[in-house]
Amino acid sequence: MTCRQIQMNLSLYLYGELDFSQEEELEQHLSECALCKHALEREKAWHTALNAEHVDVPLELLSACRSELRSALPSSGVENEKPSSFWGWMGQLGFSPSAWSMRIAVTSFLVLAGFTAGRWIDRNSLPDGFYSDAASEASLFDPSTAHVRDIQPSGDNRVRIVFDQVHEREITGRTDDQGIRRVLIAASKDPADPGIRVDSVQMLNDQNGSDVRDALMYAARHDPNAAVRLKALEGLRRFVDDSATRENVTFVLQHDDNADVRSQAIDVLAPIAGKIELSPELADTLQEIVRSQEDNVYVRMRCMELLREMNVLPDVY
Amino acid sequence: MAVEIRANAIGNVAVRGATDRAEESAIIRAAQRGDPEAFEQLVRSYDQNVLRMALNLLHSLEDARDIYQEAFLRVYRNLPRFRFDCSFSTWLYRIVANLCLDQIRKRKVRKEESAAVSTGSGELDRFQFVAENRADVDPQRQLMSAEVNTRVQEVLDRLTPRERLVFEMRHFQGMRLRAIGEALGVTEEAAKNCLFRATQKMRSALEDFI
Repeated sequence: MTCRQIQMNLSLYLYGELDFSQEEELEQHLSECALCKHALEREKAWHTALNAEHVDVPLELLSACRSELRSALPSSGVENEKPSSFWGWMGQLGFSPSAWSMRIAVTSFLVLAGFTAGRWIDRNSLPDGFYSDAASEASLFDPSTAHVRDIQPSGDNRVRIVFDQVHEREITGRTDDQGIRRVLIAASKDPADPGIRVDSVQMLNDQNGSDVRDALMYAARHDPNAAVRLKALEGLRRFVDDSATRENVTFVLQHDDNADVRSQAIDVLAPIAGKIELSPELADTLQEIVRSQEDNVYVRMRCMELLREMNVLPDVY
Repeated sequence: MAVEIRANAIGNVAVRGATDRAEESAIIRAAQRGDPEAFEQLVRSYDQNVLRMALNLLHSLEDARDIYQEAFLRVYRNLPRFRFDCSFSTWLYRIVANLCLDQIRKRKVRKEESAAVSTGSGELDRFQFVAENRADVDPQRQLMSAEVNTRVQEVLDRLTPRERLVFEMRHFQGMRLRAIGEALGVTEEAAKNCLFRATQKMRSALEDFI
């Protein structure tokens, strides 16, 4: 391939979409041609610039879309089967039996429903003319938080309306309380709100336990928001002696596309002022990073520094 | 340490990512059996990407909203007939891609687009929310970012609908060309050619900034 052909194919190369022989030829050329090597750096730079513009969708829009979809779907499942259990039925309303906070909310809802039903029965037992203030029942309906699911006429100018209503609840407790912790862990994976995820991870950061560690590892590795990943890495410092944690943080160091997150990852694995235990696996990773032309100066410098501490020359691969 | 948590009784239910293929198959089967929670989980695994793709391609909050709704309603209606001949994501993206292409053609979005889009609450620059979501607020970087955005926008406008779709799916959604080809009903080679043309245009537009 000529220099021009090489340069035309750099994006496909970065996407990993060249076939094996083309890739071999291109890499061979790059090792010998400074001009094309420079072109590759520029190609990486515009990919990076474009990636930096890649952001989460507006949360209000996502929330509105989900709400509209929920309203548009029939209330029973895909094949219109009737729910087989109480929790199946509640699941249609968005409740999950596994979520502790949901149970509290459901319980509260049932208490409210029982109270309302009691009032309803009382009224129905009275003569028709007595309950002329049906508007008070309707006052339970708050259009900003409720969604009407069904309307059925029931004769003599009366109507039966079924609606879902969001009930906001508050719970207060210590962060080391098992129930609170479960809510925080669930909230740390809330796909709709990165702000809630950051706060939850922050609260979990001084907690021990494998459930907390797993939640932090998940956030550090998978959360789409860099601020959440940074917070999660902060929390993982206390678990860094654990091999699974080190494995996950190493993965972040190698693969995260955010330079700040990678910097944080290397500081977690090898604290600047702390006692450093450098395993051969970590040394391999550091060498790979140096070899990959890591563009973040800090990460690169720390990798070189650590390799020197291990008496591994950075240029010896 | 004490903590206060406000939880909604409906919504905000944590969803585990259905990245694992076997786990995802189990979820799809449960949804096919009529489990609404499984269907919701499927939706939540993909809906941010679907919305982002529609938004990037159509530049209209309203259109993106329509695409989201229509795509998942089609999935819902046709899920019982999904036979795992391809991956769920390929199937879903095929639906989304076709809807977006139809929308681009039907409404001639390319002629109408501008950085400002109409919303229920008035005009909104589609990049305003981008800046707000940023962790870093360095003014110089923001200025640079706005310029890059404008330039990206201009070059995206010059791409054909199919080039734009392929570029979006490969660069931002991270899909392989083979999967993109399957989703668009074209060969992998044709998808590759589209991507090639799109990247040439993108490179020439952005090289001043690097």
